[in-house]
Amino acid sequence: MHRISKLPFSFRTALLLIVPVAAGLLAACTPENNQSTFGTAGPVASDQADLFIFIFWIAAVVFILVEGAIIYAAIRYRRRSNSDKLPYQTHGNDKLEITWTIIPVLILLVIAIPTLTDIWEQQNGAPTDRGEVLNVEAIGHQWWFEFRYPDHEVITANELHIPVNRPVGFKLESEDVIHSFWVPKIAGKVDMVPLNDNYLWMMGDEVGEYYGQCAEFCGIAHAHMRFRVFVHTEEDFNAWISGMHTASDPPTAGSAEASGKSLFAGNCSSCHTVDSTAPGSYAQEISSQQARWNGWVSDIENSGIVSAPNLTHFGTRSTLAAGIKDLNHESLVEWITDPSTIKIGTRMQDHAAVYNTADGKAKLTDAEISDIATYLLSLKPGSGSTDQAMDMSSGKDVDAVELFTTNCSACHSTGDDKIVGPGLAGIGERAGNSVAGLSADEYLEQSLREPDAFIVDGFTPGLMPNWDKLGDDSIDALITYLKTLE
Amino acid sequence: MTTNALTFPRFFPRPQSETGIWGWIGTVDHKRIGTLYGITSFLWFLVAGVEALLIRVQLASAENTFIGPEFYNQLFTMHGTTMVFLVIMPLSAAFFNWLIPLQIGARDVAFPRLNALSYWVFLFGSLIMNAGWITGDAPNGGWFGYAPNSGVTFNPGLGMTYWVVGLNILGVASIAAGLNFIITIINMRAPGMSMFKMPVFTWMTLVTSVLLVLAMPILAVAGIQLQTDRVYGTHFFNSLAGGDPVMWQHIFWLFGHPEVYILILPAMGIVSEVLPTFSRKPLFGYAFVVFAGIVIGFMGWFVWSHHMFTVGLGPAANTAFAMSTMLIAVPTGVKIFNWIGTMWRGNIQLNTAMLFSISFIAMFTIGGLSGVMHASPPTDSQQQDTYFIVAHFHYVLVGGALLGIFSGIYFWWPKFTGWFLNEKLGIANWALMLIGMNLQFGPQHWLGMDGMPRRIYTYAENMGWEGSNLAASIGGFILGFGILLFMINIVYSRMNKKIAPADPWDGRTLEWSTSSPPPVHDFDEIPVVVYRDDFWFKKHPETISEYYHNDHDVEDIAPSATQTAEEHEDDHGGHEGIHLPDKSYYPFILGVGIAIFGIGFLTNTYVIAAGVPIFLWGMLGWSMEPVNDPT
Repeated sequence: MHRISKLPFSFRTALLLIVPVAAGLLAACTPENNQSTFGTAGPVASDQADLFIFIFWIAAVVFILVEGAIIYAAIRYRRRSNSDKLPYQTHGNDKLEITWTIIPVLILLVIAIPTLTDIWEQQNGAPTDRGEVLNVEAIGHQWWFEFRYPDHEVITANELHIPVNRPVGFKLESEDVIHSFWVPKIAGKVDMVPLNDNYLWMMGDEVGEYYGQCAEFCGIAHAHMRFRVFVHTEEDFNAWISGMHTASDPPTAGSAEASGKSLFAGNCSSCHTVDSTAPGSYAQEISSQQARWNGWVSDIENSGIVSAPNLTHFGTRSTLAAGIKDLNHESLVEWITDPSTIKIGTRMQDHAAVYNTADGKAKLTDAEISDIATYLLSLKPGSGSTDQAMDMSSGKDVDAVELFTTNCSACHSTGDDKIVGPGLAGIGERAGNSVAGLSADEYLEQSLREPDAFIVDGFTPGLMPNWDKLGDDSIDALITYLKTLE
Repeated sequence: MTTNALTFPRFFPRPQSETGIWGWIGTVDHKRIGTLYGITSFLWFLVAGVEALLIRVQLASAENTFIGPEFYNQLFTMHGTTMVFLVIMPLSAAFFNWLIPLQIGARDVAFPRLNALSYWVFLFGSLIMNAGWITGDAPNGGWFGYAPNSGVTFNPGLGMTYWVVGLNILGVASIAAGLNFIITIINMRAPGMSMFKMPVFTWMTLVTSVLLVLAMPILAVAGIQLQTDRVYGTHFFNSLAGGDPVMWQHIFWLFGHPEVYILILPAMGIVSEVLPTFSRKPLFGYAFVVFAGIVIGFMGWFVWSHHMFTVGLGPAANTAFAMSTMLIAVPTGVKIFNWIGTMWRGNIQLNTAMLFSISFIAMFTIGGLSGVMHASPPTDSQQQDTYFIVAHFHYVLVGGALLGIFSGIYFWWPKFTGWFLNEKLGIANWALMLIGMNLQFGPQHWLGMDGMPRRIYTYAENMGWEGSNLAASIGGFILGFGILLFMINIVYSRMNKKIAPADPWDGRTLEWSTSSPPPVHDFDEIPVVVYRDDFWFKKHPETISEYYHNDHDVEDIAPSATQTAEEHEDDHGGHEGIHLPDKSYYPFILGVGIAIFGIGFLTNTYVIAAGVPIFLWGMLGWSMEPVNDPT
């Protein structure tokens, strides 16, 4: 009487229930969804999905048996017709209880075995037997992703390009808060933790476009920190890499692109680099990005600069603002006009001088914004193979004012206002007294060629690029021009 | 006589009033303190519920602009913080306060004034925690406060300072309460009640209290470090100056996982009382259930890094914590099977309290099974920080802790008040809550597997997340109506009082042996305990042999049966009749002093100095005030 007798419904009946119920639960999953963890496109994610489904079926069996027993007991043993009859006051059943302690242990052992093999396969570095590993450094910023390809000296943002069927080894970093790097269809997430670099490998086995998203709460724009992954054939990937080393064609004089380029230089270029195609520009961008970060951190309230995505060949991208919107002229104009209509909290709007207005909208006319958008969309690998963007080759007549507008005015005003660097009014008079032993000309030349040799108090070293590349004539013309500023 | 040396100039007369606000402020009665805990935490429950509903409205459709990201971040931060620290923990504390002395046959807790202090500190801490809603900068860094996002660099303003100062103050309340209940349970059991004759709720309270005393100081370490980071510019977790953000996670989860069991064990204790009562059978496998609770409390310390499987601790650490996490499912499963065993062949009365308890097992099982799915780090890497996790812990904390607590409310309400809650409204309340929570949290499993991250205030239309989110939002409102119905039930039942007898359910434990509501002194005569479920077996002596039928069991009852009430009184200081502590204002004053310290950290160091005299006044007055005035 006091022993639990034979279970009232057979194991077979329960199993008959399990199949439709569990299959129904699984069928409700939608592998075609952009970030579904089913319908995978890489071995890491597909192993993870397989393991999930394996555990799921075991859980489904337990679920049906336990819930079935609860419902059965509640109905079968419910009180009938107010009978106060006392059931047998059993204290328990040691054998039974030991059994139902051991059975879960065995079930968990069965789950543990594939768990352990998967852990060591997925979390112990990129495999060496699946082809040449492509190294990528992914860096989380509030609120966008930076991607660096150290093997190829390519730098880009928010859109990751990888070759199909080749393992990609990621080094995951963050400079600010904790983010998490996640492309559900290709691999589970790993966090990007400041001061704690992490490693992750993945492999895309199907050419296509995949969605990624930051999965660790990282502040106000967390919901809008997304990215895309493009899995290419090996040829397409190589073409993309070589395109990233091909400079854009310079805009023709008088075009909207030319006007946009100059406006961009004046308003945007202190944070956004657009021309990391030439040899050496990779290292330059890394140090500039570090300098922007240092500049922001040293003066968070008032900084005029902030870490920002590299926009090299921006015109080839398909999305805007970290994977939020499709990229086209209309959405780009909306974004430049008032970033908060697309992404509330963006640092650009908080820090760039061009947004220092009462309503936070850009201090630019609609035509100017349209020109900037046109210019940015025109940034694509050009016909030539040399970097002409900055090359003011010697021997030509040099327009020092244009030179200054294009190259310097993003950070320096010609008045007293501090933008990123000091205002340059009266620099000619000050220059001779700044560093003992240097004349005004020598000081200005040093500042252009070796900017970090002397930093004015209160400004951040490492921010200003080395302008040697302008050529001797241009530097002479700039010095002459600077001395005229009052 | 040395009594003269003990008298001390009184700053205050002893509170006399039994009723009114001064009666409540000066009270040291465990039952009144339990009521204060219950009412306060229920009010915070309503606040947290409104926060949750606002979140659900925002997420009901894609690209919704109902609320912006800043407010949204505040809402989810405070919903989580409030539900954990200001609702489930103090609601459990309300049960501890009300029931522990009654279940162990005592007249009060070991330190009644410390008990009052716990409540006042909890109240002030909860107010400071929520002060940001009034000043407009509520905490917005998540209930987990991950560094460095919770530091001043990335989170300037007072928001997270309210959070961390509030948390530190609440910690004081929890540690004091934990100590109090450990000592009460160890020392103040009725004669004959050996540890293994204690009711299971008392056992779970003991385990929970041990966890509180060990876990809250860990949170205090992290909290004080974060507080000095924010207020004084130290660099414990400031990664910009070399502080380690991963260290915050380790400390927080070393507290945070035992905290999970602090939240669920009291509810497990409640259903372990309700299920036997309404199955009219003893708890199946008392020893297994108790040991499972102890093992959970112990193993809860070795699983914290499963909250950090994606932080990059490496394959070795992830392997170890995956193993320990899977193992902790075993004692949890044992409890579930034993509860079902309790119902088996019972005479089950399906009233509101029982339905809540049965649903607790059913829902908690779902939460447990999804828990096993992310005990495996490879699958967790797809689930971590997604709605799958949200679904999982809501099944555990709403389907588990809250349903358990509601079961306890319906079960003990007649004992607390002397009248019943209405059964028809109660069953409607249960049905709405059960349907609502399943509609709200069920679809979130799919959302998570479909890649929807947590803590995002908006999502794009092309992600396929709209249908499930809409269902979840509708479920949220159904759950909300269920809770509204509970309040209506209280009002309705109060207006149409159905008076409850002392023992309305044919109960098993000592609280049912005294009147409903109990007198101030709980028991006219301290009961002497012979059996487990002593009250039951004395009512139904014919069933003793069914429960105690082998030699081992008989030995178990033998020794304590020989101890008489008189012997017990001799052991405990003679026959002085009913002895109750006198009221005191000092716990309240000391609590005010601690609250002023907290306000000082938020405003100005001079305010902290202003709190010192009040703090000292409370402490000295307390130490010098005799527990009882000479009569």
